[in-house]
Amino acid sequence: MLSIKNLTASINGTPVLKGIDLEIKAGEIHAIMGPNGSGKSTLGKVLVGHPAYEVTGGEVLYEGRNLFELAADERARAGIFMGFQHPIEVPGVSNAAFLRLAYNKKAEAEGRDELDPLEFDDFIHEKIKLVAMKEEFLDRSLNEGFSGGEKKRNEILQMAVLEPKLAILDELDSGLDIDALRVLGDAVNKLQRPDRALLIITHFPRILETIQPQFVHVLSGGRILKSAGKELATELEDRGYDWVLEEAAAGGAR
Amino acid sequence: MTTMVAGPNLLADLLSGPRPTEWASLREAAELRLAGRELPATREEDWKYTDLKALAGLAFGPAPKATVDISSHLLPEMVGTRQVFVNGHHAPHASCASAVPAGVRYFPMSHASEACHALGSIGNGVAKGLFEDLNTARFQDGAVILVPKNLKVALPLHLLFITKAETPIAVFPRVLVLLERGAELELVEEHHGEGAYLSCPVVEVHVAEGAILRHERVQRESPEAYHLGTLKAEVGKGGQYHSRTLSFGARLSRQQPWVRLAEGAEASLDGLVLLDGAQVADTHSFLHHAEPQASSHQLHKCIVDGKARAIFNGQIRVAPGAQGTDAQQQSRNLLLSETARVDTKPQLEIYADDVKCSHGAAVGQLDPEELFYLQSRGMNADDARNLLTYGFAADVLTHIPVASLRRALRQLVMARTQATSLGDLG
Ligand SMILES: Nc1ncnc2c1ncn2[C@@H]1O[C@H](COP(=O)(O)OP(=O)(O)OP(=O)(O)O)[C@@H](O)[C@H]1O
Ligand SMILES: [Mg+2]
Repeated sequence: MLSIKNLTASINGTPVLKGIDLEIKAGEIHAIMGPNGSGKSTLGKVLVGHPAYEVTGGEVLYEGRNLFELAADERARAGIFMGFQHPIEVPGVSNAAFLRLAYNKKAEAEGRDELDPLEFDDFIHEKIKLVAMKEEFLDRSLNEGFSGGEKKRNEILQMAVLEPKLAILDELDSGLDIDALRVLGDAVNKLQRPDRALLIITHFPRILETIQPQFVHVLSGGRILKSAGKELATELEDRGYDWVLEEAAAGGAR
Repeated sequence: MTTMVAGPNLLADLLSGPRPTEWASLREAAELRLAGRELPATREEDWKYTDLKALAGLAFGPAPKATVDISSHLLPEMVGTRQVFVNGHHAPHASCASAVPAGVRYFPMSHASEACHALGSIGNGVAKGLFEDLNTARFQDGAVILVPKNLKVALPLHLLFITKAETPIAVFPRVLVLLERGAELELVEEHHGEGAYLSCPVVEVHVAEGAILRHERVQRESPEAYHLGTLKAEVGKGGQYHSRTLSFGARLSRQQPWVRLAEGAEASLDGLVLLDGAQVADTHSFLHHAEPQASSHQLHKCIVDGKARAIFNGQIRVAPGAQGTDAQQQSRNLLLSETARVDTKPQLEIYADDVKCSHGAAVGQLDPEELFYLQSRGMNADDARNLLTYGFAADVLTHIPVASLRRALRQLVMARTQATSLGDLG
């Protein structure tokens, strides 16, 4: 589904990604862990086309197409979604109107029927149940005044509405209470299908107990230093990142 | 010694007609203050950016009675609480106050005659503005609203001022709102019109101790109109006055709200201005924290396109002794073209030491992070821009309590921000 080869990217002229290689196949769940500032969010934002980042080298294929030929909104309509670490507040635009618009833009792109406000009402009620969101959040302005956890819940609601093929979830678990973490983890699992894939960015193995990855990657200094199975997450929890860095340095010297 | 003015003298012309007979002493006093005055010029600091030269050359005749079709202005919550004024005259057949609860006095000023002692007395002690005096000297009619002690009026009241100018005319809408102790009211005041005219409304408000007035003000004058409005509000101890002024129309408009807060009073003074073409809209507000522990909140937003120009001057005065004052002011402006222009200036005069005052002004384009967020959900760049522009404006409408008005204004804002193609954003 997604094939990243030697990807490099910079922001304001400073290199952040320094050669990323990653293969994600349909049906797979991948986790990326790594120290603060290592480039995890950057990788996600580059994949969804954030304009502040400049791709300086390498190649990304999404379903066989050159990802960088697509604008951010085209990537979204092609099925790529990122749940952001820090979702933006948009005053004056109601959450419900925004969700319906986003849904209909995608439906239009896929040649499916658009939903009118009444039909959408039924549709969205199923979705808010999935993420256990209170109805009043639909009438509020998009993310405006939402708590950190409420914003994350709203990101997953958007994911549930858009049903992306590839979802990148950046620190979904930060700011969530224990119950919310379980509810949203379950919701993400329910949305996962054999023809879909997930890339989970996190600092904590806890969320990976609910959303169980087949692959865990350690990203540090703009490179993936180690990839292994899900047991790596627990090992990182116990031992920190230093040993991975040392191992990589030794490997690099070999 | 007086200088001779070449060309027509607008003020003298407007005052040349006969003086209406009621409120003679008020009118006389206003005329005395106006004697020898001329239209303000841009060399005066207060009028620096708002040039009235084009107005000075025009001649406006007296406003004749007229009939208009008001069906498009009716709002379901307020069909039985409306007073309609056409060309400044009360329109009894278009009005209907049958749903107004007993105890509320709600009538045209022409019926009130000299009974309203408070008329012209709100904000006594501060200098009267030229257009305020002009209104006092020549207003034909207007609305009086008196809500007695502790009465909470369930239905909003609707004031419609409609101008239909076949030839250029001048109208002087007048409103007096008095809320006694503990009373509560929601008031919607709208100005609509067609043709070329000058409208100089004056609204006087007195909110007594613990009373609450919510006041929505909609300015949708014709594109050829001049609208020079004055609002004066006195808010008593622990009282609340919340107003929202939405300016869409007029070739040139100016809003001059003045609010005085007594101890523990609260005020909000929000504004939305949407301009394009060569429109000019000026807001000069004055919030007077006269006593301790009062709070005020002001959010003023402008979206300016074409060669239009918006002006905001937000004056806040915290009097000596007004400790515990909390005053917040935000001026946020969106420029949609290279030739659009905004001049915004906070003006804080703080004479007490224990106060919390904050103000901020921003003039710019849409936030790229917000644009990207919408695009990352599949909206193309144009849709994202239009949605954000709409949201920027609709933000001010979110808390309008009258649902049908809120919906109508959202529609209007959608049309003006090219967001109509995005479907129902309600
Ligand atoms: N707009 C920016 N301007 C300058 N530097 C930036 C900008 N955005 C990111 N960076 C830098 O890029 C590096 C990678 O940031 P990124 O947000 O990708 O880290 P991260 O791995 O997601 O960290 P965290 O775990 O704290 O979320 C950091 O050093 C950060 O300071
Ligand atoms: Mg991050």
